Amino acid sequence: MVLEATMICIDNSEWMRNGDYAPSRFQAQADAVNLICGAKTQSNPENTVGVLTMAGKGVRVLVTPTSDLGKILACMHGLEIGGEMNLAAGIQVAQLALKHRQNKKQQQRIIVFAGSPVMHDKKALEMIGKKLKKNSVALDIVNFGEDDEGKTEKLEALLAAVNNNDTSHIVHVPAGPTALSDVLISTPIFTGDGEGGSGFAASAAAAAAGGVSGFEFGVDPNLDPELALALRVSMEEERARQEAAAKQAAEEASKEEKGGEEQDATMTERASEGASEADNKKIEIADDDDTSLQQALAMSMDEPTSSQGLQDTEMSDAAAEDPELALALQLSVQDSTKDSSSQADVSKLLADQSFVSSILASLPGVDPNDPSVKEVLASMQNQSEPQQKQDEDKAPKKEEEK
Amino acid sequence: MACTHDHSCEDHDCSSSWSLYKHIDLSKVTALNEANPGSVKSVFKAWEERLNSTGEHLESNEGDPELLVYIPFTSDVKIKSISIVGGADGTSPSKLRVFINRDGIDFSDAQSMQPVQEWDLVENLHGMLEYQTRYSKFQSVANITLHFPESFGSDTTQIHYIGFKGEATQLKRDVVATIVYEITPNPSDHKTRAETGGGLSHVE
Repeated sequence: MVLEATMICIDNSEWMRNGDYAPSRFQAQADAVNLICGAKTQSNPENTVGVLTMAGKGVRVLVTPTSDLGKILACMHGLEIGGEMNLAAGIQVAQLALKHRQNKKQQQRIIVFAGSPVMHDKKALEMIGKKLKKNSVALDIVNFGEDDEGKTEKLEALLAAVNNNDTSHIVHVPAGPTALSDVLISTPIFTGDGEGGSGFAASAAAAAAGGVSGFEFGVDPNLDPELALALRVSMEEERARQEAAAKQAAEEASKEEKGGEEQDATMTERASEGASEADNKKIEIADDDDTSLQQALAMSMDEPTSSQGLQDTEMSDAAAEDPELALALQLSVQDSTKDSSSQADVSKLLADQSFVSSILASLPGVDPNDPSVKEVLASMQNQSEPQQKQDEDKAPKKEEEK
Repeated sequence: MACTHDHSCEDHDCSSSWSLYKHIDLSKVTALNEANPGSVKSVFKAWEERLNSTGEHLESNEGDPELLVYIPFTSDVKIKSISIVGGADGTSPSKLRVFINRDGIDFSDAQSMQPVQEWDLVENLHGMLEYQTRYSKFQSVANITLHFPESFGSDTTQIHYIGFKGEATQLKRDVVATIVYEITPNPSDHKTRAETGGGLSHVE
């Protein structure tokens, strides 16, 4: 998102009639220019881009640095091919145009499309490069088209003279099936010094890779940025909502599992208690309490929220005293299970020995040291161990809340 | 117009009078033709640390001793004098030309424009010399640009410390920040005191 003023130097010399880049060198260049303008203005709305031609009758500035994309695209129309490219003059005029930019805070950058042979000698180009570096102007060179002896060497020398901390780049594009713009998309010229390119560049790259003009969501961000933005935002919201729903479902599923397991536990406990019942009179009395204890425990299973942790004890008390009340409470509590928060993991409550024993102690007629009660606790422990392993962090939370 | 101190500079006085560095907007300081981008910020420090060259210093690119430093202040200041500590072996700057309240000067501008004031510097490795300004011209300085065109014979120019002596006003010579342009005036936005005081005519 670097604030930048860019001048693009177009080569519209006779060499651009050649068709080795589809459809013609000049057309490929024009497409690349359009893409670059779009990328620059998208990456930072205050960026400005200007265009000049280097060949023809002489160096001519078509549009001074502006952030109006339409103006830039319009001036690319009706350009004529002819003459010879004057690289040195082109760069110097570009530098002058950048010097008179309106917003002095913008960084200066020149992008040169060098398609025809370079007439100047290496020394002259190096002098120009040094001057650019001194005035902290960055330079990107696109070397395509003609490849006569020395051209690459000269351009590399120019780049070396300008380059300050890797802000300047050179790209060599050989003739071939891939379009000039596609090759450029993946280069730092487009992505801007490796800051992680603009969304436009990324989506255009994806499109190029896919081979279809399918932008993200099938809408060209260039043509309709608001629609593209709206689509992106609604996609994010949908994703977030789905995640929340999935999380919810997972919780409820696991809770129902535990509920089922607890019920099994109570059943087996009842069976075991029934067996030992005949032996001990004391156990008989305890049995009634155990039943109500089971009810209480079952109830506290249905109890969802941890904030009602204390209320668990109270409700268990009430339940122990009045089975009907317990039933009524159970029904009402079941309604509220839907609203349960993720905190309320009751198996953790039960896994917590001290909490269970505190409940039991508050129940009338239940002696925590009673062997049958201890048996119940032990079986509860076994049941809840698998869950406990899953969510160990919840247990300390419960500790704090108490 | 260089003058030397007539007292020893271990005095508390000296450091407090060279305190304008506190009013420099360091984030917006830039330099042209510096070898390491951003190294210009290291030359603005307290008077006591002016000889402390363990940190970075400002150096121009190889083979080109010209330097241009742009310094904006956080409020308008009055500058009485300037002190420059250069490098050894001919890397000190030999000339200084300053421009006041001009944005975006580059080398071609600096070379062609008439500076507000210029000095011939001497090698000042201990920072004891200060160069007095024509105070009347430096009364409300929002930003200052220092141009060092040449050094004492070396290929590069090094600067270890730049100090400003003067006083800071609390004023800001700033662009008008908030303007509201109206296509059609809305009378309720323009209630005068007479109207709100409950006069007979009332504009809603």
